[in-house]
Amino acid sequence: MSVWNYVVTAQKPTNVTHSCVGNFTSPQELNLIIAKCTRIEIHLLTPHGLQPMLDVPIYGRIATLELFRPHGEPQDFLFIATERYKFCVLQWDAETSELITRAMGDVSDRIGRPTDNGQIGLIDPDCRLIGLHLYDGLFKVIPFDNKGQLKEAFNIRLEELQVLDIKFLYGCLKPTIVVLYQDNKDARHAKTYEIALKDKDFVEGPLSHTNLDNGAGILIPVPMPLGGVIIIGEETIVYCSVSAFKAIPIRPSITRAYGRVDADGSRYLLGDNAGLLHLLVITHERERVTGLKIEHLGETSVASTISYLDNAVVYIGSSYGDSQLIKLNLQPDAKGSYIEVLEKYVNLGPIVDFCVVDLERQGQGQVVTCSGAYKDGSLRIVRNGIGINEQASVELQGIKGLWSLRSSTNDPYDTFLVVSFINETRVLAMNMDDELEESEIEGFCAEAQTLFCQNAIHDQLVQVTANSVRLVSSTTRELLHEWNAPSGYSVNVATANVSQVLLATGGGHLVYLEIGNGKLAEVKHVQLDYEISCLDINPSGENPNYSTLAAVGMWTDISVRIFSLPSLELLAKENLGGEIIPRSVLLCTFEGVSYLLCTLGDGHLLNFLLNLSTGELSNRKKVSLGTQPIMLRTFSSKDTTHVFAASDRPTVIYSSNKKLLYSNVNLKEVSHMCPFNSAAFPDSLAIAKEGELSIGTIDDIQKLHIRTIPLGEHARRICHQEQSRTFAICSLKNCQTSNEETEMHFVRLLDDQTFEFISTYPLDTYEYGCSIISCSFSDDNNAYYCVGTAYVLPEENEPSKGRILVFVVEDGKLQLIAEKETKGAVYSLNAFNGKLLAAINQKIQLYKWMLREDGSRELQAECGHHGHILALYVQTRGDFIVVGDLMKSISLLLYKHEEGAIEELARDYNANWMSAVEILDDDVFLGAENNYNLFTVRKNSDAATDEERGRLEVVGEYHLGEFVNRFRHGSLVMRLPDSEAGHIPTVIFGTINGVIGVVASLPHDQYVFLEKLQANLVKVIKGVGGLSHEQWRSFNNEKKTVDARNFLDGDLIESFLDLSRSRMDEIASSMAVPLEELCKRVEELTRLH
Amino acid sequence: MKTENCCAAPPLAEGAAAKQPSGADRTARGASKYLAGLPSRGLFSSAVLSSNPGGMRVYVCDHETAPPEGQVIKTNTTNILIRALQINKQKSDAKDVIAKSAADSSTVKRSAVTTSERRSPPKKMKTSSASTSHRGSCSSELSEKKLQMMTVEMLRALLKERGLSPKGKKDELIARLKDKA
Repeated sequence: MSVWNYVVTAQKPTNVTHSCVGNFTSPQELNLIIAKCTRIEIHLLTPHGLQPMLDVPIYGRIATLELFRPHGEPQDFLFIATERYKFCVLQWDAETSELITRAMGDVSDRIGRPTDNGQIGLIDPDCRLIGLHLYDGLFKVIPFDNKGQLKEAFNIRLEELQVLDIKFLYGCLKPTIVVLYQDNKDARHAKTYEIALKDKDFVEGPLSHTNLDNGAGILIPVPMPLGGVIIIGEETIVYCSVSAFKAIPIRPSITRAYGRVDADGSRYLLGDNAGLLHLLVITHERERVTGLKIEHLGETSVASTISYLDNAVVYIGSSYGDSQLIKLNLQPDAKGSYIEVLEKYVNLGPIVDFCVVDLERQGQGQVVTCSGAYKDGSLRIVRNGIGINEQASVELQGIKGLWSLRSSTNDPYDTFLVVSFINETRVLAMNMDDELEESEIEGFCAEAQTLFCQNAIHDQLVQVTANSVRLVSSTTRELLHEWNAPSGYSVNVATANVSQVLLATGGGHLVYLEIGNGKLAEVKHVQLDYEISCLDINPSGENPNYSTLAAVGMWTDISVRIFSLPSLELLAKENLGGEIIPRSVLLCTFEGVSYLLCTLGDGHLLNFLLNLSTGELSNRKKVSLGTQPIMLRTFSSKDTTHVFAASDRPTVIYSSNKKLLYSNVNLKEVSHMCPFNSAAFPDSLAIAKEGELSIGTIDDIQKLHIRTIPLGEHARRICHQEQSRTFAICSLKNCQTSNEETEMHFVRLLDDQTFEFISTYPLDTYEYGCSIISCSFSDDNNAYYCVGTAYVLPEENEPSKGRILVFVVEDGKLQLIAEKETKGAVYSLNAFNGKLLAAINQKIQLYKWMLREDGSRELQAECGHHGHILALYVQTRGDFIVVGDLMKSISLLLYKHEEGAIEELARDYNANWMSAVEILDDDVFLGAENNYNLFTVRKNSDAATDEERGRLEVVGEYHLGEFVNRFRHGSLVMRLPDSEAGHIPTVIFGTINGVIGVVASLPHDQYVFLEKLQANLVKVIKGVGGLSHEQWRSFNNEKKTVDARNFLDGDLIESFLDLSRSRMDEIASSMAVPLEELCKRVEELTRLH
Repeated sequence: MKTENCCAAPPLAEGAAAKQPSGADRTARGASKYLAGLPSRGLFSSAVLSSNPGGMRVYVCDHETAPPEGQVIKTNTTNILIRALQINKQKSDAKDVIAKSAADSSTVKRSAVTTSERRSPPKKMKTSSASTSHRGSCSSELSEKKLQMMTVEMLRALLKERGLSPKGKKDELIARLKDKA
């Protein structure tokens, strides 16, 4: 790998942090707006459900998201503030479907201590001002003028330093905030202030309550006519207003989120940290509050945000589990729950750990993550590509073609499966027991290879063999008409649709037939210069039964030609170049765009835009899908047409955002495929593989596939062992025993196919699993699981005791072989030169695996290295050890064999608080730190002085905006031998927001090229809300902010492909590179993930 | 003190303790009661909610996103203490002026006014830029009498604020101010 890195997101953030509901896209439309850390999603509420509209990237981490309606505006505006103190006000322009910036600005102060409890942003219900609490002791006001425009912001001194929550009260003459705060004796109080805009100061407000619940954390302002505020504590809920004060005790719980149900504010939904949903009701007689009621409704994911949508449907956004769409039922179900989960939205966050494995042994990596927390903990298997779930299979050798037929034109299901062999054709059909058995169609020729067959109009079937075209009635199954090839010629290739047949015989003869009722009519015949290699007349125009274009691939001059039908006039000719003949052509339409796809014998695919009226081909693109000839076939899934490319690397071609995408299929080699939609196997595909015919359903067509293994507990570490085909995880479970909540920690063994727990080793009380690896030692062939633990005692600040446990898997059980006590937490374990390298608190320790006299084994300390604050992350390569410290950035150590000692070679003297490290190559190391930055450091082995050699030079810096928990070498995609991307080394990372990303090291020339492209793109693709890309990607921590260097923003670069054609042309011309070349290079990059 | 008592009100706690053990069936019925009549505008009304009726478009923003003029918001950097002092002084000045003008009816007090004027200009200079709105609201009440009371310097400051030319004799300045009003 190298210092020139390209960072791209493979899985976008899934952690939902904020949500709100309002009329954003139009005064009549109701929208749900969801914030997923660095993206917002706009959904439309419809009678049929939630309809996704737009996914908007934001150049910032969203700290607050609010909808508001300025005076005189027909629809709501969206207020977004980012963690790096930028804010913007967005408006939706329905005519252009664009987001318009109404205002933006920087709300940072030069002096100020950032708040500990997170940034608070709020908008006065009467829209007089926006309030922000960003720094301790300061309340920032952005006033509106009477035209709804924002004015210069100013700060007001806020006496309360530990603010927990701030809200605006409803129905006050002057804007009034209520502040929930903690004093220096840890008691919590609420206080109100009126904001005097003229004096730019606070005036004591109408309410004040001291000594609230010690766990009071959330304020809910109640709209008029009731007014006042609800204060949610851990043991009590209090309502107070000027005239009333009500309190109720609740079962102890920590409320995380609330959602208002009624516009008058009499009912609220509360979600707590165990995922329980409660309904809070304010009972009132007219405007007089008489009391509070709380009712348990049921269980959801642990909510971070709750939005009541409409008609008893509620959106539950979660950071720890899948977000949900739920319905509140009037009557409880059998388990007493009023909640019905309508839909789940996958959330991978927080990814605490993951490993990259190749479970199907096909050369394609899969990522298995430890996702979620608390009760929503799970393992997620993330795989690139599309899965075929095999339903049935039969052994059949030598399949040369595969077609499905219906028994009549209007039959919704396929009945027959025609399988063609070298000199015979067999017909399979579904029998009464839904089994596939051999059948017969009398009119078909069974003694010859079928070149093509097809359902035709008027309840007829067409079969093309080398000698003839047969038209058969699908009801009587008798031959109706036959067209014979001229003597001396045989049909080489043929294609048909429901009303047309096109075939080619030797000598370059192209014959066009039309299908009538019981009759085949030869309409046109032409002779071409060369032999014909492939044909297609798939109707892609308006008439689904009749094509006006034919695509023909040629031998010798290696070209594709477009002919008009029925006249067979040449409309266009495109030379493909090279010496590889086209093997399959296909005319198809995706999302209203017509394409011609053409595959070559060497596994390349060319695609062209096709002009349906003139037959003109344009916008040629070439990609490599495999190494063998590819057969193309269309199929439908969920009412959308896709193309299946059968080859040694089967691929599904589909379109998203009017852009062709390619997804691998999890099958090894497919020679033929046809859709087979039968009653027993609905929406299935019949697939011919080596010696086998199988029928299976296909996954949803999307890029990444995520399978969830719910654990019901929180997995923190994971690793895979090839030898025993198992996973081992360290997990913790929260147990509720009577009134006390305890944590139990386990080491668990899982089967790597079924993901079932097959063995469990419980850890001691207070003992946490901190690290786990699979390794083997020198002079011992067994593979072991080594687990590092820590005793986390309540009275200790740092653990002073831990263990290293060595397990072997025997008969599917974890057997403890050896254990070694350590003087601290074992934060990291690594296999190192046949030994075990552990990071224990501030020390790096190397252990040997020693054979004792009695034949048992033990770990024996060999040498160590002191001098870290906490050595949290360790990676090794050869004799080199790279340590990521809690707060002392990265250091490089070397193990010296002769002396049996570990010495420090160099370190980075910056004070970065690390969250993950990885070794990119011998000299370059990658680190992630807790201000969401990435950086690379380089060893200076050639430097002149010792001082310089002892310093790791920072060579790359970048703001990722994501908290990285783990780096791993590996790739999510199949590495194709002949594609350029196949040689780019990659590192995968996983983050708290559920992002899976890729860091790819590029060759220098490619880096320079893409850097230029990025610079050009920044001029064209603007930040939503006027936020700047350069500022967003600049490395930023408490000490410094510097521009990003030696890292490229892959998400920005790949959005090039989403631009309009004219914009692309603009960029290509300013880059002085042909557009085709530019597209190809960017598309290559998209295939890195 | 009062609130403290309220929070830990013993009758309430007892009431809840009595309610909790009374079984789940009671709460169940309760929840049904409170779940009735949830707000509805006819959305999500279809019997079968389709899970994903459309795809999510990824937004690529290739139009200008700079906000309209004057809507790039910055924070007033004046120190809070200094700002408070300024506002206070402004207020007291305004009071001064009003008080003086009310008391003043003859040239006898001319000398007193001039003394106050001598003191005030530096303050005015400072505040005139700091708080337009404050001054604006004051000035709208200015009658000819009050204007006559002011010094030429004060009038010029007012004119500048309104973007008018500060040149000329005092009478011209007053006339210009009045025209504008």
